[in-house]
Amino acid sequence: MSETTTPLTDLLAESSIQLDAHASSKEDAVEQAGAALLAAGAIDASYIDAMLQREASVSTFVGEGVAIPHGTLAGKEAVKRDALVLLRFPDGVDWDGNEVKIAIGIAAKGNGHIALLSQLASILLEPEKAAALREATTTQAVYELLASEDDDDDANG
Amino acid sequence: MATLDGSSVKKLIVACDAGMGSSVMLASTLKKQLKGNDVIVEHSPVATIPQDADVVVTQASLADRARGVVPNVPVVPFNLFLGDPAVTRVVKAIQSGDSIEV
Repeated sequence: MSETTTPLTDLLAESSIQLDAHASSKEDAVEQAGAALLAAGAIDASYIDAMLQREASVSTFVGEGVAIPHGTLAGKEAVKRDALVLLRFPDGVDWDGNEVKIAIGIAAKGNGHIALLSQLASILLEPEKAAALREATTTQAVYELLASEDDDDDANG
Repeated sequence: MATLDGSSVKKLIVACDAGMGSSVMLASTLKKQLKGNDVIVEHSPVATIPQDADVVVTQASLADRARGVVPNVPVVPFNLFLGDPAVTRVVKAIQSGDSIEV
């Protein structure tokens, strides 16, 4: 399967980065991530229900204070284009006992988001970079962290 | 329980429900760790795990579904996306060519 690399700013628009968000619960945070994907024109509203379903069955907490809420296989039909949103919760959100400060909402029907998720994975494996992401207060800082260092990460095999 | 022969693993599948998020991240991490071991690492929705997989790693809550899809393939459940000991064991077995019980 061939993979096209979507420019970072197309995938994660500056308007889709919220660095001072507040959520009262995990569900609230997931709904906010869904609302941001909806505002970005990436999904139909029904995808937000799929995100909540997925979260209820299997948490998307990935460690280092980061969760990556996304929909289910069935919810994929509600995705219009590959897009990500990033919400930062400076006060943290209780995510089944884990504290989440960064929620990255994902809508994907293709592979345009794979390079960005690969980069996110490498950030999370380096504690100081993960801390920098949690503490990012400018969109520029977010982009600098998420800009792919190498482009050979074809996670599709 | 099943025995996984690390030296015979040519294709490792990371499975999750949608194949959209978490499995993508773990697959990219494992791909980096197994660079040079001649192993294909792919992510897949659990419902469509390829039958020619040699080992499947998946979230604990999806392990039974995965075993139903590929009954003859060792399935390794994990709980943590980053640094789960079960996944680390599989990586080490592939790197060293050792056999482990999974």
